[in-house]
Amino acid sequence: MSQIASFGAKATAPGVSVHSGSTLRVPINKPSVKALYIHVPFCAKKCAYCDFLSWPTSASDPCLDSYVEATVRELHALHDRGLLEGCRTAYIGGGTPTLLGGSRLGMLAGCVRGVAPSLTEFTCEANPDSLTDDVLTAMVASDVSRISVGVQSLNDAELMELGRVHTAEQAKERVAAAVSAGLDVSVDLMCAIPRQSDVSWAASLRGVIDLGVCHISVYPLTIEEGTPLYRRFEHDTCEWNDEDVQARRMEMAEQVLTACGFVRYEVASYARLGKRCEHNIAYWTGVPYLGVGKGAASMLGPAEYDLAQQVLEWLPSRRPGASRMRFTAYDGDVEFLTSREAWAEDLMLGMRMTDGIETRLLDGEPSVRAELICRGLVEERGNRLVPTHEGWLLGNELYGALWALAEP
Amino acid sequence: MNTTDTSLIRNFSIVAHIDHGKSTISDRILELTHTVEQRDLYKQMLDSMDIEQERGITIKSNAVRVMYDADDGNRYQFNLIDTPGHVDFTYEVSRSLAACEGAVLVVDATQGVEAQTVSNALLAMNANLEIVPAINKIDLPSAEPERVREEIEEVLAIPADDAVCVSGKTGEGIHDLLESICYLVPPPEGDAKAPLKALILDSYFDAYRGVVAMIRVFDGSVSAGDRLVMMAEDQPFLAEEVGVKRPLEQPLNMLAMGEVGYLVTGLKDPALVRTGDTITGETRRCAEPCPGYHEAKPMVFTGIFPIDNKYYENLRDALEKLKVNDPSLTWTPETSVALGFGFRVGFLGLLHMEVVKERLEREFDMDLIATSPSVDYHVYLTDGTMIEVTSPQDLPVPEKIERIEEPYLKATVIVPPDYVGAVMQLLVDHRGTSTDMVYLSEKSVEMHFDIPLAELILDFFDQLKSRTKGYASLDYEFSGYAPSDLVKLDILLAGEEVDALSFIVHRDKAYQMGRGLCDKLKEIIPRQQFEVPIQGAIGNKIISRSTVKAHRKDVLAKCYGGDISRKRKLLEKQKEGKKRMKSIGRVDVPQEAFLAVLKVDDE
Repeated sequence: MSQIASFGAKATAPGVSVHSGSTLRVPINKPSVKALYIHVPFCAKKCAYCDFLSWPTSASDPCLDSYVEATVRELHALHDRGLLEGCRTAYIGGGTPTLLGGSRLGMLAGCVRGVAPSLTEFTCEANPDSLTDDVLTAMVASDVSRISVGVQSLNDAELMELGRVHTAEQAKERVAAAVSAGLDVSVDLMCAIPRQSDVSWAASLRGVIDLGVCHISVYPLTIEEGTPLYRRFEHDTCEWNDEDVQARRMEMAEQVLTACGFVRYEVASYARLGKRCEHNIAYWTGVPYLGVGKGAASMLGPAEYDLAQQVLEWLPSRRPGASRMRFTAYDGDVEFLTSREAWAEDLMLGMRMTDGIETRLLDGEPSVRAELICRGLVEERGNRLVPTHEGWLLGNELYGALWALAEP
Repeated sequence: MNTTDTSLIRNFSIVAHIDHGKSTISDRILELTHTVEQRDLYKQMLDSMDIEQERGITIKSNAVRVMYDADDGNRYQFNLIDTPGHVDFTYEVSRSLAACEGAVLVVDATQGVEAQTVSNALLAMNANLEIVPAINKIDLPSAEPERVREEIEEVLAIPADDAVCVSGKTGEGIHDLLESICYLVPPPEGDAKAPLKALILDSYFDAYRGVVAMIRVFDGSVSAGDRLVMMAEDQPFLAEEVGVKRPLEQPLNMLAMGEVGYLVTGLKDPALVRTGDTITGETRRCAEPCPGYHEAKPMVFTGIFPIDNKYYENLRDALEKLKVNDPSLTWTPETSVALGFGFRVGFLGLLHMEVVKERLEREFDMDLIATSPSVDYHVYLTDGTMIEVTSPQDLPVPEKIERIEEPYLKATVIVPPDYVGAVMQLLVDHRGTSTDMVYLSEKSVEMHFDIPLAELILDFFDQLKSRTKGYASLDYEFSGYAPSDLVKLDILLAGEEVDALSFIVHRDKAYQMGRGLCDKLKEIIPRQQFEVPIQGAIGNKIISRSTVKAHRKDVLAKCYGGDISRKRKLLEKQKEGKKRMKSIGRVDVPQEAFLAVLKVDDE
């Protein structure tokens, strides 16, 4: 069960966190992040919908070597300061980490294992086209426990529209190989995409279940400004991406996956029992995490921030009174959140989880709680306030109302 | 600056259809006479009202003095009087022209004579001005100066043999134009010894010195320290300073007979200094004021409300500040059930309304809702009295109304013959009646018609432009009141009548407008958490209906490696968007919904 750290506890005792799904306590006097993200900002080709930070290149690009070397150096430096001591989960994301190939990825993953000795979950993102046997072997060898494959669809026409560089067959074959290798396999699927029908969507869902995956993420496509997809459909009504279609496909996914033994635990995430992604849960539960690499996002409390500053010299000094810091190396901007803002953020992020937040966290804001219940966005279940079906699909209404509490 | 012999003074204005290049020619003249240098020009442009710059229109009148060393060896004093370039401000234009002896009529060599070319030329001829035709943009490959020359002669009956061909862009021909002005425009005539008689062309407010009037001296002279009087209201005041603009203010000892310049009145209330009024001496008075003065009367009315009602007082302050430089602005408080407290504001025309609204939003940083524009209806009641109604919500119940009269315009459209049919159809759609039609040349037809002002202030002009591919030009003047069969159309959102969305419409068009408006509102009002029915009604009768579907999905599912800031920014953007909406009952309504009636497509 995930549990949100209460506002008071976070403000007075940074570094303390009850980790969801475990009872491990990290000593107060040793600041450490609980989750580590490593960003590999390279792809074979940029997908038509992607506006995330990544550079298209080939596996032979010497840049990849120097990037891995630099990342390894940074990880060691962070380790030397003790910042990764209590780290429980790690996630190598992208971009396309598998583009690095077996030896480079093995080196990076091995380093992660070395610098973060107490990992209980270690995920690596993969694309079917670069998830070679070599890469799989390297992952297993360096104790990667979980793999998240960007499948997106099991329909070739749809994959083509998205600008993906692999076929459905290739994806199936590689996912099956990952399952056989003994890894916990998660796949990403996209809905409300061009040429998708209710039938093809159901086929993609059933297809990945049949492959033996234990975790599925379901995202309706967002047409982001500046992407090739945006330009292509700029003057189109895009009925296939209409919010009614998005809602219907999300509901379909919930029905199909629930019937097959998956449980939705977050807006977009479904898992078989015991297979939830603890790393992603960290993002929604106020647990400090560190991102290493160009586009990686970090969230740190004051003590972790002060430590991280010794390694990441570009970080500006901490604003007095700030209880939470968010930054990415890419834009070089640090957001300093007050304790009230951090509290409101925890409420908003907690509501992404199906088990929501503790009802008492809103004791000080009875009118907001009553309004959200009255609007049918949340309901009380035991001592928790959880999003309703409507609160799931209209999450922004709910999160917006909670984030508004940041202003006193 | 030395006093100039009256015979070397030339007071003139430059008139043109919009975009024919009036401003560029003015700029070239300032440059060629070394009044301002190129780089200052740019600076000066930046400093003036940005809405004027952006829209390429002049709202205020202005007068700049330039000294020109002519080929005949004399140094001439030119007073270049800039006039507003839009039909909303015809009265202001006529006052400016009254201060001139000549007018440079600029015609675009690629476009030819257009509606405002004709109306401006007529205004200039009625003011007995010597007209100096100038054919502009001759540097363009598509320029047809010969055709345009013929058009000027045929259409305007102005001899155009001597029309100067110029390019405001390259400066070609500007020297010839200046020479023509010296020879063609007569010097001012008047009696330098007579009591002062000066016309107010326009005025502006200076925070330190009070109201400053731009004046033309017809008789006598005026110096700082003179005790003077505004003739219309017999308002005495002291001339604190006189001078000219070049284009920065330059104080002088005196403005002599025939000269144009500014006069610092020291008066703090702009309403006392009225365009068209006459200034004379307090003791030595002129016999007759300058002819043609009347008060500007608002033609178009709209409700303006702050989205957040706590800014009501700020809105009042902002309006008062604008009125300081725009005395034609009028308002009365208005209360709406839906929008709370605001003002019914009167404007000279649609453009004037847009400009004021934009200035309120931009210069005073206000989030406003403007309701659909209305005209001043004369409502005759069964008890024999007449009331003026400028807001739909003030319309009495039908049982009490004997008849309603609405303002009509005489309008002129000039258009290539191919589009006559399209314009005719547009007229029919907007209750216009054609009075006559004149072929000005093979390429242009002048159509005259009567049309209710209420129709013109909807989307008439935009539709005219689109249906004639931009070729048509429009001009109009108020012609009087006539009875019409008008009804009030109400709009209900989620079953609740929203008074701010009501409007007055001709009975024959009520169904069509009701349907169009419900459909348009459906497009404008975003989905809410619940379904929102939109209904159009006359009295208790529902005549149209549409529905905004309930919101189904609004959540960002994808998580980019824990980039929470990105999600939060999206929420903040949504919140900003909501702030700009008005909550009416449970429905969030965007600002533009209240002007939806302007966007209802007739087709």
